[in-house]
Amino acid sequence: MSLESKYNLKSPGVKRLMREAIELANPTEEYYACPLEDNLFEWHFTVRGPPGTDFENGYYHGRILLPSQYPMQPPNIILLTPNGRFEVNKKICLSISGHHPESWQPSWSIRTALLALIAFMPTTAAGTIGSLDYTPEERQLLARKSKNWECSICGKISEKLNSTEGAASPKLTQEESSLIKQIALKAEEDANKKEPSAKVEGNEQSSESGELRQRTAATVSEGGPAEMISNIGDPILEASNKDKLWTAIMLLIIALISLLLVRRLFFL
Amino acid sequence: MAEQGENMNKTDTAPEPNQDELILAQQRQIEKEISDSIPLVGDKEPITSLNNEYSADNIYLEKIIDLSKKYKYIRRTRPDGNCFFRAFSYANIERLLGKPDEFEAFYKIAESSKDDLVKLGFQQFTVEDFYDTYMEVLKRLKNIENLNDALKELHVIFNEQGFSDYMVVYLRLLTSGQLQKEHDFYSCFIEGDRTVADFCHQEVEPMYKESDHIHIIAGCAALQTCVKVIYMDRGIGKACTEHDLPEGSAPTIHLLYRPGHYDILYQ
Repeated sequence: MSLESKYNLKSPGVKRLMREAIELANPTEEYYACPLEDNLFEWHFTVRGPPGTDFENGYYHGRILLPSQYPMQPPNIILLTPNGRFEVNKKICLSISGHHPESWQPSWSIRTALLALIAFMPTTAAGTIGSLDYTPEERQLLARKSKNWECSICGKISEKLNSTEGAASPKLTQEESSLIKQIALKAEEDANKKEPSAKVEGNEQSSESGELRQRTAATVSEGGPAEMISNIGDPILEASNKDKLWTAIMLLIIALISLLLVRRLFFL
Repeated sequence: MAEQGENMNKTDTAPEPNQDELILAQQRQIEKEISDSIPLVGDKEPITSLNNEYSADNIYLEKIIDLSKKYKYIRRTRPDGNCFFRAFSYANIERLLGKPDEFEAFYKIAESSKDDLVKLGFQQFTVEDFYDTYMEVLKRLKNIENLNDALKELHVIFNEQGFSDYMVVYLRLLTSGQLQKEHDFYSCFIEGDRTVADFCHQEVEPMYKESDHIHIIAGCAALQTCVKVIYMDRGIGKACTEHDLPEGSAPTIHLLYRPGHYDILYQ
């Protein structure tokens, strides 16, 4: 296999993905995923819409992007088939709802992510970034249409899953099923957009964090949104005034922390 | 202002991902700076090297004098939230090298640990993934006859991100397993309205989550090892506080704790 010569097989991350590829090699009734022929860190998947929901009988195809630090960091999921629940072509990532978004666990797997995706589809969108709030009729229509949807790499997706009786997926352990209920999916695009601006701040930290603190403090007292926007970037435009206030307070704290950190690391 | 108030009310019900993501982005940047400048596990350095960090801080300087009476060397670890697990795992294996009998005993404990985790409901195939790498590292070190070569190899392994993190993950899983196995005992130490299992999922199993007393006690129990933690902070007094975990034991691993961070100490 070409993959094997391309990657360092001694690297635990590569070994892990090879393992997952073997574990997921046989399609089940509910999901199927495999790495691209030329890239072990990008997979394509197909899931069946959960029965008894608007997505019943639908087939949904997408990409899984694995960070180089996988499994220490979570996979990103991108849906390609129009579904009325998630925007297509937008990165969504796994997190535990109500807790910190970074609480992905290395002992979860691509399978966990797919099961979480299936379980998460019927939940309400509630205005989360990357979520869509289509009506049941629209979703059902999209589900019917999805049968004929084709991926330019994988071909017709409705043939990807195992349709024979008894091809049920391996039973969930108790821990898995309770876990899947807790997992939430959220678009990550926002954070990506923000990264460049955060980086600029980071680079200037040592010399300018004092100034940054002043700037944000000034913004808090004036409640002036314009200045905040120029500091943080586009996505904040959507945030409400309260968001901005909190953001300013957070920034202030972050600036303080990084100042102390930098001081400890470099000056003493 | 009225408009502002209205906006505020609106957002009360909407999710608030923005601050979280901002913090995350900033955090990633800080993490990157740390990982670029500090190795996962550093070289042994004389205790007096701590002076450089606190040249203008008399409280710390006095405590370093006290510390240097008991310890000669320090080995720094990267402050990435995994420092306790990395330091503990490193120091534990390091002390076993050159003691074949004790190493063998530990190897047996590690060998039988996987089944317990699977019984507790962890996904078998991912547990196996971490377990296999963990055992592979132990096996590799066991087979090196020359002590110095073994120590060098240990250092190389723990500074290779992939392997090093796998060692951390497996110790996190073992710690979580220990907590859940004896949840009646540990539940008394968990603050807030959380079960032991919740606590493990949120504070023990995810990477980069910092460790508390309870992690250390459970980690020690899982590896059947004892640790002495020397606490050095700005508290009153010229001496550092010491804690043997579990209490009353004869510690074989010595860690220095400064608020938020663990390093390894050597006598």
